[in-house]
Amino acid sequence: MNLKDTSGKVHKLREVKCPTGFTWSNIKAELRAIWESNIKIWKLDLAYPISFVRQCISPFVFLLPFIIYGLAVIGGRHSENLERLVGTGDVVTFVFTGYMIIGFIGTAVWAMGFSIRREQWFGTLESLYVTPTSRLSLVLGMALHSTIHQSLGTAIEFAAIYLIFGLALQIQGILPALLIFALMMLALYGFGILVSALSLILKEGWIVAEGLHSIMMILSPVAYPLIVLPTIAQQASSVLPTAPALVGMRAFLIENYTPQVVGNIFLHLLALDVIWILFGIFIFYLTDIYIRKTGNLAKY
Amino acid sequence: MKERIMQQSSLRSNYIIVWSEIVKNLKFLLAYPVVFIFWAIFPIFWFIPFILQGEAFVGGLQSQSFAEIAGTAEFIPFVILGAVLNSYVLTSLYGMGESIRREAYRGTLDYILSSPCNKAFILIGKALSESISSSIFAFTQLAICILFFGIALTIGVIIPVIFIVILLILGLYGMALILAALSLRYKQAHDLAHTMEYVFSVFSPVRYPLASLPLWAQILGKILPLTYALIAVRSIMLLNQNLSALYLEVLALLVIDGVAIFLGFYLFNWMEEKTKKSGTISNF
Repeated sequence: MNLKDTSGKVHKLREVKCPTGFTWSNIKAELRAIWESNIKIWKLDLAYPISFVRQCISPFVFLLPFIIYGLAVIGGRHSENLERLVGTGDVVTFVFTGYMIIGFIGTAVWAMGFSIRREQWFGTLESLYVTPTSRLSLVLGMALHSTIHQSLGTAIEFAAIYLIFGLALQIQGILPALLIFALMMLALYGFGILVSALSLILKEGWIVAEGLHSIMMILSPVAYPLIVLPTIAQQASSVLPTAPALVGMRAFLIENYTPQVVGNIFLHLLALDVIWILFGIFIFYLTDIYIRKTGNLAKY
Repeated sequence: MKERIMQQSSLRSNYIIVWSEIVKNLKFLLAYPVVFIFWAIFPIFWFIPFILQGEAFVGGLQSQSFAEIAGTAEFIPFVILGAVLNSYVLTSLYGMGESIRREAYRGTLDYILSSPCNKAFILIGKALSESISSSIFAFTQLAICILFFGIALTIGVIIPVIFIVILLILGLYGMALILAALSLRYKQAHDLAHTMEYVFSVFSPVRYPLASLPLWAQILGKILPLTYALIAVRSIMLLNQNLSALYLEVLALLVIDGVAIFLGFYLFNWMEEKTKKSGTISNF
């Protein structure tokens, strides 16, 4: 196809071939889009260094009240009741191993959930929507950035707690714990995709995100064992990846930790991965179709 | 005679400014009922993990170790009162502290600052509307806690508690004014608000007594109004003390309020002049 300008000069339009379908070239293109999306957010992040530093130390600041409160209620570091419940009485190690994943719930709920909404704020959502890139790549780019960012915060949190309080962790348990963590993150990504779909419809979806975050925080055994929750809450926690992941990670990281939960945590998490990812993507595509049909994309 | 009429008219205009600001902010709040319900209920979800944590670690609802440093063995009412009063910190920092920034987002800041009125009354209106909404939220949370967590509230403690809360609000809005002033000049005051929230969260006795912190942290905690308000309210509600026994806490709150409000207004006027001169009011 040719285009004629006002002076009558004919320009030949350059044909751009966009890879489509489940092909290697398309996968490469989508991976590139994910990477570029991640880089873009890092550039935005690093443009505000004070904000970046604050966000990096925030996991440590939010963890401190849990530890100090724990120490205050038992008057020391060892809780006999906790030992009776889970086999270990070291409250600092117990709370730390629980709290270090909380930031990653934020990755799913806030960072991924609001990746599309953020583009809307910046005024770039429509431009991105007309590119032949998958919308999911935008969300996954944000997920990649947020996971790295949160890992940095967790590393600072670990170093600070280790230096101030000391931690009794089993080094040999780190690798299996990381595997459990990876499985948990996959399910959380599925959850994050679902939240990002909700934020497209609800617009001011921060209430949903904050609500989900608070409920996940209660249903996950972050600062207490699952057994202290009412039975119905314990059952509800099994559909979230954080509860089995925390139990599994603690079993590998803390000596003498004896979880009450029976069953294979790896299989449990794998099942949750499949369910949450498929469900998240399904809802995301349904929302995408709905939002474009109703013309709500540019609305606030 | 003419002077008196002008004074009356000026007083009436200022009253209208304050009233209009309150009505405007309350209209915004009621326009989003979900947001209203969220702030009234969800802060409760944020302290439930602490209650469960305490139960798991202690194996009951009372802790003798806690009683040695807090004066009360019941850690659940301690945490609940801390959380309810802390909600004033959150609403003042993010509500009042960012109110000026919000006007900039809405595109109304230039009109407000160029209007021929004393800006102090606009700020007073904003502070009052925030106080009303914060108090509605805090009251709802407290009512839920009375129903579900067995917090005891007798008629005799209501007036001294309200008095302490008013003193707390004055101090917090003084601090929020400083934030609002900084947001005029430096725009992104959000990080400063977050940082202040961190300071309140760690160094004030919101979830644990001040005595459980190291000495240097206790000293830092003692310059925050929330610390004295929490000590006073807990002493009245949990330890059945009279307000007269808490004169030192009341005095400390009065001093902090005076300093924070004076600094807040002074900084705001100074920053307003600076931004007007530099022409950066409508910058983002």
